[in-house]
Amino acid sequence: MAAETESKPETQSPSSGIGPGPGAWVGNLRDLVERVVGSAPLKYIVNWSRIYSLWPVHLMTACCGAELGAMMSGRYDPERFGMQAAVGAMRQSDLLIIEGTVTKKMLKRVKVVWEQMPNPKYAIAMGDCACSGGLFHDSYSIINEIEKAIPIDVFVPGCPPRPEALLNAIIKLREKIRREEVYPK
Amino acid sequence: MTAASSSPEQDLAAAIRAQFGNTVEDVKVDRKDRVSLVVSKDTMMDVAAWLQRAGFDHTVTVSGVDHPWENHLDVVYFLSSYSREDLKGLVVSLKIHLSRENPSLPSLTPIWESANFFERETFEMFGVNFQGHPNLSKLLLQDNWDGPPPLRKDFKIPEMA
Amino acid sequence: MRIMVKTDGDLIVEATPEIGYVHRGCEKIAESRNIIKNIPMLERPNIADSSHLNWSYVAPIEELQRVEVPERGLHIRTMLCEINRIASHLYGMAIMAGIFSGHTTMYMFGFGDRELLLDLHEMLTGARMTFSFFVPGGVRRDLPKGFIEKLLETLDYLESHLPAIDRIFVSNPIFVERARGVGILKNEDAIRLGVVGPVLRGSGVPCDVRKDAPYGVYDKVDFEVPSFKEGDSLSRWRVRFEEIKQSIRILRQLATDMPKGPIARKSPLVVPRGEAMGRVESSRGEINHYVVGDGGDKPYRVKMSTGSFKNLAALPFLLKGVRIGDMPIIYGSLDYWPVEADR
Repeated sequence: MAAETESKPETQSPSSGIGPGPGAWVGNLRDLVERVVGSAPLKYIVNWSRIYSLWPVHLMTACCGAELGAMMSGRYDPERFGMQAAVGAMRQSDLLIIEGTVTKKMLKRVKVVWEQMPNPKYAIAMGDCACSGGLFHDSYSIINEIEKAIPIDVFVPGCPPRPEALLNAIIKLREKIRREEVYPK
Repeated sequence: MTAASSSPEQDLAAAIRAQFGNTVEDVKVDRKDRVSLVVSKDTMMDVAAWLQRAGFDHTVTVSGVDHPWENHLDVVYFLSSYSREDLKGLVVSLKIHLSRENPSLPSLTPIWESANFFERETFEMFGVNFQGHPNLSKLLLQDNWDGPPPLRKDFKIPEMA
Repeated sequence: MRIMVKTDGDLIVEATPEIGYVHRGCEKIAESRNIIKNIPMLERPNIADSSHLNWSYVAPIEELQRVEVPERGLHIRTMLCEINRIASHLYGMAIMAGIFSGHTTMYMFGFGDRELLLDLHEMLTGARMTFSFFVPGGVRRDLPKGFIEKLLETLDYLESHLPAIDRIFVSNPIFVERARGVGILKNEDAIRLGVVGPVLRGSGVPCDVRKDAPYGVYDKVDFEVPSFKEGDSLSRWRVRFEEIKQSIRILRQLATDMPKGPIARKSPLVVPRGEAMGRVESSRGEINHYVVGDGGDKPYRVKMSTGSFKNLAALPFLLKGVRIGDMPIIYGSLDYWPVEADR
């Protein structure tokens, strides 16, 4: 995606014919920023800020939503992990938790939510139904493999998974984010 | 408690038999607080209007049952009352036998508005046409559903042992 | 659910609910699994109130099999159902007064108190929400040691905390301004639309299956059915609040006189020929399971009719002519659980 926006200023800016126009300079600056931020020590700081402020979209597709609701309350306290319910919903959140069965009717809306979220974004498949169809795997109206529609980072089995299991999943996601690149290709 | 006129369900069954005679079949009192009867498509509106005047003011639920081996499809209405103290615990079930090809019957939504969403669901799941229903359209299934009505026995899903 | 709303400025002219986003085909799947395997599947539609769905499914099967649950089994069933009712009301109140009216404190209060009840669930059944505890013939396990003491301790705590919830939320002038006079459902409309549960009782119709057609041991305990005649969102909220108090009253009576005896009777793994209907009052309204049997071990037809689906008729009626800002409160006061309505 960085490459596409890089080429646009070059083709649109007026060129006097003597060398590349101002767009190329911007492109080189962007490259420079990516290289500096994407390597240590800034990389660790950027990843640290992403880990400690994961704001979830509470997409309550089915019953597991009740356990997510319980996890967001006082006893399990996700705010100490930096997870706060995103007030602006999709555009200000970076974690999509798919709770429960995704039906064929709901799939389009899940994709719309996923596409509205800005990068970087992560997805957790919560519950047996989101992982593999679960208790309703032989139904005529559900999607068994959600990972074909949305790239999932962590799968949490359970029916429903206990809030502690979900917090464990958040911790594993944080380990994954800590290891990954700041600007993935 | 088995004397004929001592319980509300026995009283109701007797009143139905007295009022409608042979036009309703199979008026039964199988257990306490349940009366069941079978009506035909032509007499169902009269029976329903009579029941409404008798105090049954809402439908508890409406269901379809598919019997392919006996070659009929049933629609069952369950009725009860909120306003009459003596009928509060009683549930009357009204069963109509229909043919399995193009089943259709008059809708009871004009009499009991609470039957609206139930009839819509039965239309979608069994393919039963309710004549006179204000809005017979899809409710639960996905928008591009092109298969047969799912709750019919012809439509099979994998069976677990 | 999705509500398609046509507005004239700020006023809603017409509202159409679109449901079916969680339709998983429970009724169809139930025909292909045997009676016992259906129990976990059929209690998932309302996970916060699953014991009522379980009872309503098991009761018609017992009726067809002519199996009577022993007294102690009925007591344990009633006890679990009442604890579940309090937990479910706290959930509903937390969502309505917390999320939909904009302050999250009630959410934290409701869910925090609910955790104590989930601990009780776990102590009795092993699971927080999905118990699968009732089988045809009785219940699966007896009360563990120390359960009654913990139950009474939790009830004492709840009773001491309810006045705080009353002061902060029910009598709070801001909440009252938002909810009083909003979404009025008159007596005759409630009966005509066939609504159930707290929506019905908030409109002045004091009908409750626990009193009208008693099951379990509800005919042996002393309790009242709260109802308010205003029919607005505040009275629906207050019905739930009063029902929590009545449930605590029932639980205290059940805890002190538990009969001794077996908790279950043997029941065969068949659904005999015939049909039967179970009626149970859950926290969102009356639940019915219409079971048709054909002599095999799988039910021939299971029709589930849940409180949220019946209350759906009230939503387009109530939303006509109100301002858009009142919509969350009206929707929250119906305590609509989408998974239960779509099954």
